Amino acid sequence: MLKIENLVTKFGSVVALDGVSMTAHESKITTVIGANGAGKSTLLRTISGLEHPAQGAITWQGESIVGRRPEDIVRLGIAHVPEGHAVISELSVEENISMGSLFRRRKFKSDIAKAMDEMYQLFPRLQERRKQLAGTLSGGERQMLAISRALVSRPQLLLLDEPSLGLAPLVVEQIIDSVNTLCRTTGLTVLLVEQNANTALGVADHGVLLALGKVVADRPAAELKADENLRAAYLGY
Amino acid sequence: MNTFLAALFSGTSRGAIFALVALGLVIVWRGAGIVNFAQMGQAMFSTYIASTLITNGNSYWVGFFVALFAGAAMGALLDILVMRPLSNKKKTELLSSDSMRAAVPVIASLGILGALQALAGILWAAEERGFPAPAKQEGFTFGSNVMPFTAFDLFVISLVALTLVITTLFFKKTGIGLAMRATALNQEVAKLSGIRTNRTRTLSWAISGAASSLAGLLITPTSNLSPNTLDLVLIVGFTAAVVGGLDSPAGAVLGGFILGMVISFVTFYDTPEDVFLSILAVLLLVLLIRPRGILGSKDVRRV
Repeated sequence: MLKIENLVTKFGSVVALDGVSMTAHESKITTVIGANGAGKSTLLRTISGLEHPAQGAITWQGESIVGRRPEDIVRLGIAHVPEGHAVISELSVEENISMGSLFRRRKFKSDIAKAMDEMYQLFPRLQERRKQLAGTLSGGERQMLAISRALVSRPQLLLLDEPSLGLAPLVVEQIIDSVNTLCRTTGLTVLLVEQNANTALGVADHGVLLALGKVVADRPAAELKADENLRAAYLGY
Repeated sequence: MNTFLAALFSGTSRGAIFALVALGLVIVWRGAGIVNFAQMGQAMFSTYIASTLITNGNSYWVGFFVALFAGAAMGALLDILVMRPLSNKKKTELLSSDSMRAAVPVIASLGILGALQALAGILWAAEERGFPAPAKQEGFTFGSNVMPFTAFDLFVISLVALTLVITTLFFKKTGIGLAMRATALNQEVAKLSGIRTNRTRTLSWAISGAASSLAGLLITPTSNLSPNTLDLVLIVGFTAAVVGGLDSPAGAVLGGFILGMVISFVTFYDTPEDVFLSILAVLLLVLLIRPRGILGSKDVRRV
């Protein structure tokens, strides 16, 4: 379980997160929705250690992770797929995936090939393009690659930032479906950030609505989806 | 014909050394985003260490390997003690722009170059001394003809070739090599993948230090050793790196050989006085036609 209490993150004098408290429950999909600039990405970046909070607590499985480096946080089982299909274009598909398992190669050497195979089973298109440079992939394939790079580290918590960004609806559906299946079959905990609220709430168990760095609503996803007043006020449709 | 062969051979052997220097610069540039002007200062210093060991009765190879190790250690220490703290965002907060922040470590490297040269002058006196070669420096004889190619040239070329092959395999085939490339290309994604980017960066400094020390050991038998002898090598090596593309290891090697050839042919067919002019001409030509360098990628930062 990931528990966030009164989290504040600032960029200079700009307050991006203004006292956020929320929880991501084990083996569930929790989605954080909100308009552009609501602080969704900053929330994930603070959890994974890319940004340092000014105050507040982040507790992962009973342990505080505030102040740790990203490379240590991933070792605790939290994998972050940042916004914008974050892959390394100059490296091959295979190298991008294997990069995510480098830190496990001492302790779990025998598992690495297996974990990579599982990624290729999850996204067979990546296997066809194993030797290609990541820069030559389509947007959807790049997102699949970014997710594989994160999953190959065998995380217990996946932080997924706007996987739908710039992708065709059909591709989005395919990616969201894969993540959903993974959560339901392996018990992976997912924290999904989305601007596309309908898609996210359709698949999530729980929804958190952020506006200007504050939590406006924190409810079961179905309930949040049905609340037309909130939607009109904060999402504009 | 003989002049042509002589120029070709000498160009290959010099080019190999420049390639090594350029490669050292490129590895640090890719790994840390810093042009390390102290590089040949480090090489000069470790060559002095080798020279001291050899004149005190140790074998050439003891001096050789100690110098390589010293070069690697100096590179790593430079990163840990100077560059890492200087690149720290919080500590350089006072500087207003990113480009100013990027300039700080480069200026520091110039300072370190000066400090190393001064220190070498104090420790070993500033006059030139010779440095031994592990192979003969007279041309091979073929019948009664003396060929313009020495056993030492052969030694230089094969050692550099070996180094290039090992470095390539290391970067392409090993996990640490992949971690280093990932860190160089995208630090954020590398960190999120669990790569300890501080360590991989220090490793780039160490590898670059060892490569440039090797260059120092290979060039001083023909150029002699003094605190300033390697300045020229740095300038040519840097030009080679820019000509080849500052972010491309293969480009660095190519640039090194191109400049080696240019210098050698100008020396043999024209006069040595025109060498600098020709280097500048090559640099200008490449920067005009292809500013990112022959094999450089598109979005190279401005230096």
